[in-house]
Amino acid sequence: MASDTVMTRAPAAAQATGSEPVRPLLEAADLVKHFPIKSGLLGRSNAVVRAVDGVTFSLYPGETLGIVGESGCGKSTTARVLMNLIKPDSGNVLLNGRAPGTPELSLKAFRSQVQMVFQDSYASLNPRLTVEDSIAYGPTVHGVSGSDAVRRARRLLDRVGLDPRRFAGRYPHELSGGQRQRVNIARALALEPKVIILDEAVSALDKSVEAQVLNLLLDLKEEIGLTYIFISHDLEVVRFIANRVMVMYLGRVAEIGPTDALYTGGRHPYTTALLGSMLSMDPDERTMEAPLAGDPPNPIDPPPGCRFHTRCSFAESVCSAKTPVLTVSGTGHFTACHMVDPGSGHSKAAA
Amino acid sequence: MNTMSDPILDIRGLTVTFGGGPKPVRALDGVDLALGRGEVIALLGESGSGKSVTLRSILRLHPPKRSRIEGSIKVEGIDVTSLEGRALESFRGKTVSMVFQEPMLAMDPVYTVGQQITEAVRNHEKISAADARARALEMLTLVRIPSPARRLAAHPHGMSGGMRQRAMTALALASKPRILRADEPTTALHAPVQVPILLLLRELQRELGLSMIFVTHDISVAVEVADRIAVMYAGRIVETGTVRDVIRTPRHPYTIGLLSTRAHGGRLEGHRLPAIPGSPPDLANLPPGCAFAPRCAIAADACRASVPEPIDLGSGHRVRCFRTAETVNKVAALAPAATS
Repeated sequence: MASDTVMTRAPAAAQATGSEPVRPLLEAADLVKHFPIKSGLLGRSNAVVRAVDGVTFSLYPGETLGIVGESGCGKSTTARVLMNLIKPDSGNVLLNGRAPGTPELSLKAFRSQVQMVFQDSYASLNPRLTVEDSIAYGPTVHGVSGSDAVRRARRLLDRVGLDPRRFAGRYPHELSGGQRQRVNIARALALEPKVIILDEAVSALDKSVEAQVLNLLLDLKEEIGLTYIFISHDLEVVRFIANRVMVMYLGRVAEIGPTDALYTGGRHPYTTALLGSMLSMDPDERTMEAPLAGDPPNPIDPPPGCRFHTRCSFAESVCSAKTPVLTVSGTGHFTACHMVDPGSGHSKAAA
Repeated sequence: MNTMSDPILDIRGLTVTFGGGPKPVRALDGVDLALGRGEVIALLGESGSGKSVTLRSILRLHPPKRSRIEGSIKVEGIDVTSLEGRALESFRGKTVSMVFQEPMLAMDPVYTVGQQITEAVRNHEKISAADARARALEMLTLVRIPSPARRLAAHPHGMSGGMRQRAMTALALASKPRILRADEPTTALHAPVQVPILLLLRELQRELGLSMIFVTHDISVAVEVADRIAVMYAGRIVETGTVRDVIRTPRHPYTIGLLSTRAHGGRLEGHRLPAIPGSPPDLANLPPGCAFAPRCAIAADACRASVPEPIDLGSGHRVRCFRTAETVNKVAALAPAATS
């Protein structure tokens, strides 16, 4: 199974960023989440969407792990499973080696350490609470006294660049998108978490404001020692902010590795195609052909074997017959492709 | 391409004010824009910059009771602002057509793609249903939809995002318009799906000799499709010129800021993006001078006192800025962003 390969080799990934093997902060082991499609009068389900289908990775303290892939590849479902917002069908999530929702790590304690910022800055705030109350809400639930929680909220507002004297009493609709996203970041910080999952957190912002929020995230990470999972469709932004990048395709991990290695020497044909679709910004070097034909197949009935084989120009018979597992393709770099796996039977693989 | 002597679209001094709220909102302020025959202009700007308002003004899509429109919009010499009733209806779609950002919202969910294209064609031309269906098939083939005959019977929800955007383009082109307006047509799409749509629009534009206005917030998309770029900020065009001029020698501090704030390439430890401070202004409370002055690093007293008029820097490169003497060779970090 793909999971075993990575679990045993995972410490190697840490060596890419640090000197000695570091224990992962957050681990996802063989996560599976299928959504049943209900139809007919009795609401019987006769098909499932394989949103996340065997995803395994580790998150190391202090790093930023970028997750990229097309819509429907399972990025956001992975984030929600990690957060315990939805329960996986199988597989598990471990924080410092402990599973949330067990006696050794209650769900409440887990949530205080893993927080999330969503794409829609407006929908993720309660419109009837002032931003100060929104930020103070979490700490109050976790037993901080009301006045201490408000003090903490004001300090955090100041920290994310919003003067508490001007902004504390405002409601979400009185703020711009960039300001609201700062409030969401302050709220995520209010429980002093170790990990923040940012799901397309800057995607809805105007470019001039996006840069400010990215800089803020970098400052906070260095000062507080945070660890990020940064999910985005913007490959430029991910390259800028992430230390490691995980490429997902139709519910599975296609490739994971250090950002530079992946962007300059991605080994999975899907990674190459995905990165090849980045635009050049050069009027004399316009894109002349599409690096990838067609749309991703339907996740209800994904292709057998390697899920990318239907769009891959290197596909051979082994690709539709056998599912590739994540195989070491460099330092801390793993690729799920038969061409990388020696002895897979693919003509381009080393024998 | 000597097109500017006889532009197909000529907008002069377009000012649009919306009432209805507590304070009138001036969404556009003195926009001048000329689109040559067979030319592609990208309107580039952030939310609230006025790019979509400009686009909608050309089809007179604003609610007449709550909007005041000043200035002139001429399409092939005809003043659009004076069109009424039937004439306006035939102008919409026939002369100027539009591709929207969200095809799922722009198309009717209960009719098939074939029915929708057929209806659009028969609204503008007196042809038989069979001929209109043949045209629909021809259009789907033109936008390179695989197995087009089968897709005629498909509903929008039965298609993928990229496929829907192609069907939307077929619908927009079915009545053979001369001007195509595209409002962020690839924004809702992921990079691998975006590229083929951009290539398609570029090819169709060339094949059919269309004039095109392309609205986007993404500079890299503008660079891919446009001959010229018009950068908008707070309801005004602040810089316009050929793609090369605007990208390589931008002269408005806002354009320079937008270009240098883009993340590209890897990040060195401790590195930060050169961000533009502040946020775009409230259109109901615009500052008296240049709207960008409060965020501009080189703003002077003159910038806060009055609105700068466009200055021509040669070859159609026009900038609304008092400080162009300070903005020569100011652009940073413009190495191609591709994986190197």
